[in-house]
Amino acid sequence: MSPLQFEEKYQAEWTELDALLSQLQGRSAIKAANKKKPGEKESGPPSKAAKTVISGNRFTQLYRRACEHLALARARAYPSHIIERLDRLTADAHQAIYSQRDFGVKRLAHFLMYDFPASVRAHAKYVWLATVVLMLPTIVLGFMVYAQPELVLSVLEPEQAAQYEEMYSDSADSIGRKRDANTDMMMFGHYIQHNISIGFKCFASGLFAGIGSLFFLAYNGVAFGAVAGYLTERGLAETFYSFVVTHAAFELTAIVLSGAAGIRIGHSLLAPGRRTRVQSLVHAARESIVVVFGAAIMLLIAAAIEAFWSSARWIPLPLKYSVAGVCWVAVISYFSLSGRRAS
Amino acid sequence: MHGAILDTVVSTETPEGILLELRPAGLSVRCYAFMVDFIIRVVVWIAAATVLQALAGVGQATMLILLFLLEWIYPVAFELSRWGATPGKRIFDIKVIMDNGLPITPAASLIRNLLRFADFAPLFFGFAFASMLMRRDFKRLGDLGAGTLVVYQPQTTRKFALPQVELVQPVRLLAPADQAAVIALAARASRLTRDRTDELAALAATVSGDQGRSGPEVTRRVLGVAQWLLGHR
Repeated sequence: MSPLQFEEKYQAEWTELDALLSQLQGRSAIKAANKKKPGEKESGPPSKAAKTVISGNRFTQLYRRACEHLALARARAYPSHIIERLDRLTADAHQAIYSQRDFGVKRLAHFLMYDFPASVRAHAKYVWLATVVLMLPTIVLGFMVYAQPELVLSVLEPEQAAQYEEMYSDSADSIGRKRDANTDMMMFGHYIQHNISIGFKCFASGLFAGIGSLFFLAYNGVAFGAVAGYLTERGLAETFYSFVVTHAAFELTAIVLSGAAGIRIGHSLLAPGRRTRVQSLVHAARESIVVVFGAAIMLLIAAAIEAFWSSARWIPLPLKYSVAGVCWVAVISYFSLSGRRAS
Repeated sequence: MHGAILDTVVSTETPEGILLELRPAGLSVRCYAFMVDFIIRVVVWIAAATVLQALAGVGQATMLILLFLLEWIYPVAFELSRWGATPGKRIFDIKVIMDNGLPITPAASLIRNLLRFADFAPLFFGFAFASMLMRRDFKRLGDLGAGTLVVYQPQTTRKFALPQVELVQPVRLLAPADQAAVIALAARASRLTRDRTDELAALAATVSGDQGRSGPEVTRRVLGVAQWLLGHR
């Protein structure tokens, strides 16, 4: 068969596949065109009939045919324009057929019910390690600064220390006294932007053999411990702990989880096992990104709590502490219990 | 068919048994795309900030959330769209796919864009530059971790027109590779200078029985063979 005959014989199939493809890719354009058609009902969602329904069977059939033709054309060394055309056609169809478009509520619910907690449990040893790396400096620094308040200056600038003291004191400028709805909103935005970024960075820096994640965890532990110890020593324990305890259930856990995911990818590079280092990294990242995504959602929850609940001073302390208790129990039991039944 | 040493083509086999040829996009084009994206983000941010500043708390919150979205979610959202590329990449006709040729998955997109933070160090994208310059598939660290590849969009086929000459039947049987070479020469003839076409045609002169001769007449006969081979008979 000469190239011309080949082209003539199968031209129709290629054109059809091409048309289906552009229909798939320009689906929104078609929708818009359908909407503009006069005489049709304007109201209501566009009916199924209005959208041109693409037959999956026909599409895959044409795709497989095109693959066949491409293989033939290559084997027979047909001219490059035929091969190039089939190349592009099969590449586009391949992308269209194998793409994942699955971001629905159902998928998210499944993620929260099963994937996330199960993945956290699968990373248990990394999570415990991250917990220790965060909490050990917190506790050590906490007690050290409590015993010797001037040590706080080795962690914070004097102005920062004064600022923290001011923030949690009973004076007019403290958290919850001066803050109105506007400030709450602004802080909500700030917590989202700031805290989730930290979570992501904590994960990403794990790529450097885990050192970045370990550093982020320890650094946060040091700062948190120093501030906590200092404020406790100043007699501001009540304001401070009632402020942090509720959202800490989500925020501290999420930072620990991001760090654990980072340590995981660092570890995968250091000890790739039977894979190459790159394969091992890809594998580890694919599994641990589930944890990071979940941690980002937790940080979102933490931001809302921190901005609107933690800062509300008018809420009686017993209520605050009991809500905090509920949150902690909920988070811990979520990770230890949910998603155990196979999905 | 392709030079294994100079070419950066990555071939992957699909379940249908065909080889997909992926052409990884290099450092410079990706830098341009990044700069365009950066400018878009800055412009959006400034425009939004100008409007939102008037709105006190809610406005500031939206600004900060927008900053977060522009910084982290912008590339993910666009890569998962049906274009598989951010606006900057689309301008330069490149897109992100998995390194086995499949469309990018949500997890992979998230990984490659979060790991950009690691690529950023030291200085300005130091690791990204080093990694891309050292690898023939131009992957940065994020691409390595996610198993993704930035490739050129397959080009739409050029218009294929052979010079109109009278048909010449080849004097001997030609192997498929030789047939392809003669046809490829004819396809390129319109983009070559006349002298160069004559030179190349002289190399193929055996197909029309013009061994050892060269010149416009030989060229016309060789191109005539190409026509014949294509199937104009």
